Amino acid sequence: MRNAALWLDSKFGFEEHTIAHYAWVIVAIAGVVQMVGAAIRMAFGVLVDPLVAAFGWSPGSIGLAYALMSIVTALSSPMAGWLGNRFGARRTMFGGTILFFIGMMWTSQTKEIWELYAAYGIVFGVSQALLLVPVVPAVAAWFRRHLGLGTGIMMVSWSLGPALVVQALAVLFATLGWSQAFIVVGVVGTATLLVILLFFKNTPEDAGKIAYGTKDTDNPLITKGNVFVSAQKEFQGFVYKTNAFWNLINIHFLGCAGHAVILVGIIPLAISKGLGPLTAAGVLTTISIVSMSTRFAAPVLSEKISAKAVMFVSFFGQGVGVFLLLTADSTLDFYIFAVVWAIPYGGEGTAFPVMIRKYFGHTPMGTTYGWQLLGAGLGMALGGVVPGLVFDITGGYTWAIILSALFSLAGAAAILLLENTKKQLIPNWPEMEIKPEEVAESAGITASPRPAAGD
Amino acid sequence: MKSVASDQTLNQVERFSPPNIDGFEIKGRPFIGLGLLISTLIGTLAVLIYLGAWASLDRIENRAQAAGITESQAEGQWWEDGLIIACPLH
Repeated sequence: MRNAALWLDSKFGFEEHTIAHYAWVIVAIAGVVQMVGAAIRMAFGVLVDPLVAAFGWSPGSIGLAYALMSIVTALSSPMAGWLGNRFGARRTMFGGTILFFIGMMWTSQTKEIWELYAAYGIVFGVSQALLLVPVVPAVAAWFRRHLGLGTGIMMVSWSLGPALVVQALAVLFATLGWSQAFIVVGVVGTATLLVILLFFKNTPEDAGKIAYGTKDTDNPLITKGNVFVSAQKEFQGFVYKTNAFWNLINIHFLGCAGHAVILVGIIPLAISKGLGPLTAAGVLTTISIVSMSTRFAAPVLSEKISAKAVMFVSFFGQGVGVFLLLTADSTLDFYIFAVVWAIPYGGEGTAFPVMIRKYFGHTPMGTTYGWQLLGAGLGMALGGVVPGLVFDITGGYTWAIILSALFSLAGAAAILLLENTKKQLIPNWPEMEIKPEEVAESAGITASPRPAAGD
Repeated sequence: MKSVASDQTLNQVERFSPPNIDGFEIKGRPFIGLGLLISTLIGTLAVLIYLGAWASLDRIENRAQAAGITESQAEGQWWEDGLIIACPLH
């Protein structure tokens, strides 16, 4: 595998970057973790009808389990981020895997509605936070530089993976029934997670390797031991005292509320304008596909140009773009909207890890990122409620569209109040007083070839 | 081999550069960041209460019409009454 990667490096003449680096294995594992972790969340819509048929529960009361799961995931996110920092992403994700298995098995045996709330809403909600929050900071730890590139590739896999998994789940539900499908997905998903976690390393130092983008002049960062624990506490204290920390939670909340309204409301809105269900679903698929381009580009550009500018343009575009829906009443209108709006939407949420790196340097970002996902999760929950509520009151979606725009534009305004990203807000994270080669050479191992990384 | 690498790395950890944070402090409190976050939460709650109270009134009105009684005679659910009381505009 490594030889093949080295061959590709020489074949394509990569100079600044290399494929032959373990950081890309970590990025790939992050993609799989997201795929498994998000599988049942994405497939919830398929679950509703079988439960109604089996137990006679109302769709509303079943939907409450999804809302509960979203809120529990959001509320657990800061804790999951802290656990990832303190005990390592691998152990935290292992805990998430165990809860994933319990949640899936319990849900498959559900007979009462309270069991659905406990198994799917609470157990699976916590599991999702433990799986999905620590993995992003762990990927960040593998990139001394070029975090934008690593984040971009990870974010593309995060939108592609669930789209594939949902199709597979739909087939499983149809052929095996909902209960058996949960058992199969639980067993296969847990086994997959356990196997890939064997290859997961929290830090390059754990694997005896050097972080991607490390220069000859760089010393390795402190990643374990008592020094790590005490420095982490002290540095996180500095982070809490910055405006950026609190404002980024606020911005993530507003951005997610803004696009959740559209993602939840676009299919019923399109159907209400005369589009068929399949054509309406195609609008959402188009958004998913087109947004992949900026999911990749936004973090890369954020690192190269300005994270603040890229995020502002994305939020502003997301806010202004939804006004196209006010006059949309044909299939062409909706597909034009899907293409135009997906571009800023894709860039809205993917630059946050780069932004954190710019402000707080190499300080472990688990806790900070976890708090931001609390904002994001609550924003998604709010945005999911708004379209239905507005439709019940007004009989249309106009005010939902206006609210979506207001959320996104308020986020854009809040971005303007962020500090300049050119200046790090807290001191540099402590380094070891040795060169990376010394660690590798004294241990008798060969370090991965490093890109001649420039900023 | 890997375990040797890990041990070596662990031993080297003690040779760290102490963070250059002597005298570093962030003066002032994050009023702008916290203020924006709290403003957003209050604004969002206000919008939700307003929309919720509006929806509640609609539901009560629909039930009253269906039962052929006046709105004041129709009984609201506890959460409908709560939202209407909480909203100063309804």
